[in-house]
This record gives sequence, C-alpha cells and structure tokens, in this order.
Amino acid sequence: MTSSYTQEKNDLPPSNGLAIINSKAPFSSNHGKDALDVALIFGSFEQKVSLFFQGDGVYQLIANQDARLVSIKDYLKTFSAFEFYDIEDIYVCQQSLVNRQLEEKFHIGDVQVLSSIEFGLALNRHQHVLRF
Amino acid sequence: MSTLHLVRQSAFATNDFAQCLSVLDHQDSIVLMDDGCYNLKHSLMDSLIKRVDGTLSINVITRHAQARAIEISAAVQHIEMSDVVELTFNHTKVITWQ
Repeated sequence: MTSSYTQEKNDLPPSNGLAIINSKAPFSSNHGKDALDVALIFGSFEQKVSLFFQGDGVYQLIANQDARLVSIKDYLKTFSAFEFYDIEDIYVCQQSLVNRQLEEKFHIGDVQVLSSIEFGLALNRHQHVLRF
Repeated sequence: MSTLHLVRQSAFATNDFAQCLSVLDHQDSIVLMDDGCYNLKHSLMDSLIKRVDGTLSINVITRHAQARAIEISAAVQHIEMSDVVELTFNHTKVITWQ
C-alpha cells in the first residue's frame, strides 16, 4: 500500500481515465474486437483511455499476423488508428511475453513493456477498468 | 485403439492441453489448430517432443499458425485442414479439446 502511494506521488499523476484490459488471444473470440470498439468509442468522445495487454491478450500486439489466412476480418490493423483517437498509453505485461517466448516486436509503435509491478501500478492509477 | 486429439485452446489460458497430454497414448496423434497453435511455444510442448518415440505424431495446421505469426517448427508436421479428414479415418476415435 505504502509503495503504490509513494509511486503515485513521485512518479506519475493519478489518472481518472478508463483502463481496458485485453486478456484473450485475437482470433478465436470477439473479445479483442469488442475491446477495440469500446476504446475507439471512448476515444472519439475525447475520454482518456489506456490499454493493457496481459496473458494471452499480448498476442493481439505481435507483429506479422494475418487474420485473412483464417478468414477473419483483420481488426488488428485498426490498432494503428489509436494515435488519431489520442490513445497513447498502451501497456504490455513483460512477464506474459516472456512466458510465451515472444519478442518485443509489435505491429504498432509506442507500446510500453512493463514489469508485473509497474503494470499493476499503471492499472491502479485508473478509476474505471473494463476487462475483455 | 488409437485416438486423434484435436487441441484448439491455448495452454497459457486453459489446462486443456495438459489434460490431453495426461491421457495421451503412444500410438495417438495430436493436431494443433486455432489457438492450440500457441502451444508450440509452451513448456509442455518441449517435454512432449522429448517424450515422442517415433510412433506419436504431432501436427499443426499451417495456416492457423501462420495467421498467428507463429514460427514454423521442424519438430512438428505441417498439415492442411483436408489432411485432418484423413487423420480422422486413420484413428479409432477423436477427442476435441476445447
């Protein structure tokens, strides 16, 4: 408790925005697409949105994927529109990448890879959280 | 009596793959499809490949792995969906892990 409070005070200001946690792989369910839709809707109403990728959700960011091979509309390409919606805070859990033997090679830029502790701290700065 | 195991879930998210391996017989075959392709990078896979004695075959649907940007591994056979049809005929039963 003490350390997270100190972190808030010294490092970054507390945020009141929305945090969206992505925890599912991209192609076998609609969760990723739904999370994207929510993020862009909040973005277009100029609401502050941060995206968190954890567990199998990290697969959504990996480079060189091609949804067309499995006959799915490639919603991952829309991720490159985040900057136009002022979605700038994109966090990835480093431990989730390591567990899955994934390199830090993503199909969008400005992705911040955080350790488990930093990831938790970043999430806890948000007042509202949605998990997909 | 051989079984064809169709693995469709990520072992990082569920324990389906672990359960599959626990009932695996030496004459069975495994097909990794959909999110099951992610298991190629799971530690369970490393121990499975060490265990393989030549009779057990491990297959992955090429397009499903490619779509997910998963590296082609030499330790497993790469097949098409149409090959799965043939595999179902070559085994007495099929278990889908999903």
